[in-house]
Amino acid sequence: MLIRYLSLTNFRNYARLELTLPDRPVLLYGGNAQGKTSLLEAIFLLAAGSSPLASSDRELIRWQAEADGLPYARVWAELERDGRRMELDIALEKHTLSNGHTRLQKTIRVNRAQRRQSDLSGKLNVVLFTPQSVDLVSGAPAGRRRYMDDALCQVHAAYSEALERYAKALRQRNAVLRHVRDEGGNPAQLAPFEGTLAHNGVIIARQRHSFLDALSRHARAVHEKLTGNDEWLRLDYLPSFDAAAPPASRNEMGIRLDEEWTSRSDVGLEDLVEAYRQALVARRPREIARGMTTLGPHRDEIHFIASSPTLGTHEVDLGTYGSRGQQRTAVLSVKLAELQWMREETNETPVLLLDEVLAELDRRRRAYLQEQVNSVEQAILTATDPEMFNAGFVERATTLEVKGGIVQSG
Amino acid sequence: MSSSIPPSVTTLIEELSELPGIGRKTAARLTYFLLRGRSDLALRLAQALQDLSERTRFCSICYNITEADPCPVCADQARDHATICVVEGPLDVLAIEQADVYRGVYHVLHGVLAPSQGIFAEDLRISELTARAREGEVEEIILATNPTSEGDWTASYLLSRLESLNMRITRLGRGLPMGGDLEYADAVTLTRALERREQV
Repeated sequence: MLIRYLSLTNFRNYARLELTLPDRPVLLYGGNAQGKTSLLEAIFLLAAGSSPLASSDRELIRWQAEADGLPYARVWAELERDGRRMELDIALEKHTLSNGHTRLQKTIRVNRAQRRQSDLSGKLNVVLFTPQSVDLVSGAPAGRRRYMDDALCQVHAAYSEALERYAKALRQRNAVLRHVRDEGGNPAQLAPFEGTLAHNGVIIARQRHSFLDALSRHARAVHEKLTGNDEWLRLDYLPSFDAAAPPASRNEMGIRLDEEWTSRSDVGLEDLVEAYRQALVARRPREIARGMTTLGPHRDEIHFIASSPTLGTHEVDLGTYGSRGQQRTAVLSVKLAELQWMREETNETPVLLLDEVLAELDRRRRAYLQEQVNSVEQAILTATDPEMFNAGFVERATTLEVKGGIVQSG
Repeated sequence: MSSSIPPSVTTLIEELSELPGIGRKTAARLTYFLLRGRSDLALRLAQALQDLSERTRFCSICYNITEADPCPVCADQARDHATICVVEGPLDVLAIEQADVYRGVYHVLHGVLAPSQGIFAEDLRISELTARAREGEVEEIILATNPTSEGDWTASYLLSRLESLNMRITRLGRGLPMGGDLEYADAVTLTRALERREQV
C-alpha cells in the first residue's frame, strides 16, 4: 500500500501543500511546530476518519482560514493498493447558523463519490507511532478503547458500522434513563435501545477480543526481541460484558479473563446477544438512578502485563507499576504487533508513520525499528535532525525539509 | 434587530424564522415581500393561517389532521376498519393514499422515538393506539414507520406494547426501490432484499 500524492488545504498550519510521495522511506525534518506531525495527522485522518491528536475536527482547520472568514479544510490523497489507484478526500467546513452557533460539516469522498465514515474502512491503512503513544499504556482507559477502534475501523467496515450504531443507541438509552428518573417516564421504552446495544455490543466485543488476541501474540514475539528475552508482554482484554464469565461470579467460577469466551462452542451469537440484553435489563434500576448505561464496550479495558522469565511467575501491570522506559518499550512492541496484525488481516503492508520516535530509543530498539521500516512498502518518519539516522538509511530515504507549513527537498 | 424597524415588522420576522428551513435573512426577505407586494396577499395568508388553526383538529380515532371529526377515512364505512396502518406523520398518510392500494385505516403517531432529542413514548400517540387495538375489532396492525434507526426503534417498541393482543402485526416490506439499480444499492438494503426474497 502506497500513498502516491497528498494535497492539504488549510489543514493545521498548511495553507496549501501538494506533495508527491515516493515508494521508499520519506524522512521529514525540521524544527518544532513547523508541520511535521500535522502531515502525519492528515494521513491518519484519511485512514481512520478522525484525528488521533485533536479532540474535535474543528481544531484541524487552519486558524488563518477562520480569521479570513473561509473556515474550510481539505485533505486529499491518491493511493495505490493492490495495483489499483484510489482517491480519498475529507473536507471540513464550518457553518455559522442563524442562532450564532456553529456546525461542522464533514464530507468524505472515496473516488470522488460521497460516502459515510464507515466506508473509509479497508481503504488506507496506517500504523502511527508518536511520542504520545505511550499514553496507550499509562493514560486513561478511553485512550485504549480509542486505540482499538482506530485500528479495527481501518480494517473492518462491519466493526465501524457496529460502533456507529452502538454510540447512537447509547445516547438514546441514556436519555431514556434520565427521562424515567426525572420525569417518571415508562421504563418499557428502554427495550428497543437495549436490543440495538446488545446486538452491536457483541459484534464490537468479539472483534476486540480477536484483535487483542492476535495483538498479544505478535507483541510477545516482538517484545522478546526488543528486550533480549528479558521481559514477556501480554495484553489482557477486560470486556465490560463478559458472557462466559459475568463479572460478579467471575472469581467464584474460576474462569480466567484470557479464556476465549467468544469462541466457546457452546455459546452461540444469539445466546450472547440475549445474555447481554438480559444483563442490561437487570441493571435498569441502578442505571436509572445513575442516569447512564454502565455496561458495554464503552466501559471495556485493556491491561498490559509484563513478566520476567528470570523472576519466575511474578507479573506486573505496566499501566500502574511499569517504569517510563518499560511503558515505552511495551508501546513500541504493540505498535509493531499492530503492523503485523494489519498485514495478516489485509494481505497488504500498512503505511508506517513514525513521529520523532527514533530519538528516544536505544541502539538495539532503533535497529529493530529501522528493520521494520525497511520491511514496509512505505514509511514516513519525522525528526528534528536527519543526523539521528545512520548515513546508509538517509541515503536510501527521500529527505524533505518542513518549515512553516512548507515542504521542500532537503 | 435595529430599533428603526417597526415592532410589527420585527414580530413577523421573528415568527417566520421559527419555521423549519427559514433563517433570519429569509424571514426578513419574506416579510418585506409581503409589505411591498399586493396588499391582499398578506390578508389572504392571514386568513389561511387562521383557518388552519381554527378549523383543523386531530381526528379522535386516528389522530390525523382533519376538519371533520372523525376524519373522512375513519368515517368511510367502505374501508376495512380491522386493518390499521401506523405511520409517523400526516404526510405518510398522504403518500400511501396517493398510491391508491390501501383500503384499511390509519393511526398517526406524530413523531418517532428520539430520546436524545427529547421525544419519548409519552409524546407520541401510542397509548391511543393500544387502546384502539384493545377495544375495536382489529385483525392486523401494519407498522409503517420509516426504515431508519428511529423508525425501527419505534416499531420495536410498538411491537412490545401490542404483541400480547391477539392480532397479526406486520412491518412494511423493505428492499429495492422501483426503477432502482442493484449496482447503486447500499449493503443494508441489498442484505434485506436478499433475506426477504420471494418465490416466483
